[in-house]
Amino acid sequence: MGTVYITQEDAFIGKVDERLNVKYEKKTILDVPLIKIDGLVVMGRASISPATIAELVNYKIPLTFLTNKGKYIARLEPEMSKNIFLRSAQWKAMGESTQAIHVSKGFVRGKLKNYRQSLLQAQRRYTELNLSAGITQLESAIANLAQATSIDSIRGLEGAGSAAYFSCFNQLIRVENFQFHTRNRRPPTDPVNSLLSLGYALLRHDVQGAINIVGFDPYLGYLHTERYGRPSLALDLMEEFRPVIVDAVVLAAINRRILVPTDFITEPVSNAVSLTKEGLHKFLRLYQEKKQTKFKHPVMQKQYTYQESFEIQARLLAKYLMGEIEKYPPLVMK
Amino acid sequence: MNNTEYIPIAALNQYAYCPHRCWRMFCAEEFIDNQYTIEGTSLHERVHTLGDSNREDTWQIRAIYLKSEKYQLIGKSDLIELENSEWYPIEYKQGLKGEWDNDELQVCAQALCLEEMTGKSVTTGYIYYAHSHQRQLVEISEELRQSAIATIKSVQNLLETGIMPTATYSKRCQGCSFYNQCLPQVAEKVRRYQEDI
Repeated sequence: MGTVYITQEDAFIGKVDERLNVKYEKKTILDVPLIKIDGLVVMGRASISPATIAELVNYKIPLTFLTNKGKYIARLEPEMSKNIFLRSAQWKAMGESTQAIHVSKGFVRGKLKNYRQSLLQAQRRYTELNLSAGITQLESAIANLAQATSIDSIRGLEGAGSAAYFSCFNQLIRVENFQFHTRNRRPPTDPVNSLLSLGYALLRHDVQGAINIVGFDPYLGYLHTERYGRPSLALDLMEEFRPVIVDAVVLAAINRRILVPTDFITEPVSNAVSLTKEGLHKFLRLYQEKKQTKFKHPVMQKQYTYQESFEIQARLLAKYLMGEIEKYPPLVMK
Repeated sequence: MNNTEYIPIAALNQYAYCPHRCWRMFCAEEFIDNQYTIEGTSLHERVHTLGDSNREDTWQIRAIYLKSEKYQLIGKSDLIELENSEWYPIEYKQGLKGEWDNDELQVCAQALCLEEMTGKSVTTGYIYYAHSHQRQLVEISEELRQSAIATIKSVQNLLETGIMPTATYSKRCQGCSFYNQCLPQVAEKVRRYQEDI
């Protein structure tokens, strides 16, 4: 089971019987049974046959189109779930409701606690680092979160906590030839930011897939509501996973020297940085491996892959909104 | 409920098995196959091919619609037989006889339809277990009738209101194809869970 990423420019995505068959210059470069696929991501210029699209819908495999640099373009979803009860509960909670405040706090608390955890781990491992200021700021943001009474104040604490974490992020990079100054995007103008942006785009595909399976309306979020036409709920639920999955993969790629400066290219004038094709393959492989990694889910007390945990968190959110459980427990790593 | 809304006979079986499962299938219209339901479906594909034949003195009719105006029921029979001017329904099931009596409710509901459709009383039915090739007799007793009628009322109420019955964990959950969606043990797990600081 896994997500298939098509990165070959001008590849032709077809199907043969019940298998996905990808061809380039008339040669098959990939052939996998559809039953083994739970997502298809097409990056860049590739074409896909109508029969394949019909089969993806039939197998309920979401299809996402990204540019070759990882920017989100569009998505094809199987028919919307008929679970109107969940969507109705989701809409009833919109705005400044008790439930919206509760879940927004959960998303942000999960993210900030996971940020704190990764700083603590780095501090234990490399005693020469000075991460204590960042850790203290994160702790105070987490503590203040409990008292927050509006979505805006939760957003403020999320911003403060993220700023504290990213002010430490350069220290987590253990190799000479990469540096991180500040988070930048649209476009990212240095290798580290380009990896973070790409990783978050991939994570969004996965989280949105999970919330669609559960039956949510992806466009109604609680923490992210500011812009029309964004899958705000996916962005909400992504928060707790960002440090655990994407940041961890980015740091591993750099610190284990899997990606080196020559894996990146810089556009003239705009200075937009992106991966070379080879670099992209290496990064996608790492991301995929991370998603298949098992861990003990703190609430479920059972082994799950990170990929499975997207759906579990979405189901926990659904259960909270439907009144089946008393609180939404974000995924907080030890 | 207006008069054109009928209750699917299959929903009675599901409701008796688990009201929450019934809600997921018939109100939220979720359906995910697992090994058991796939086996069950292919069995029913074979069974649900309309036809009639004679086996010795028995007239067999497969895959016809069953309906009762009185109980607002609708469904499809696997097999009905006529022998010595007595009608009886036969429901096909994968596997062995279950621990639950929900299959008997389903046969009883078919019998209620058959009575209304033929004008004759139906006193017996059968469940055919594909795994053992055995037919099990179901006596359409007064007690079973009352229990079926009560279940029809409950399902009618569920379909009208859409109110979700609680997901409660029991031994039945182990073979249920909805286990990973309804996570019946999660409420207790969340209650006990203490988040790390």
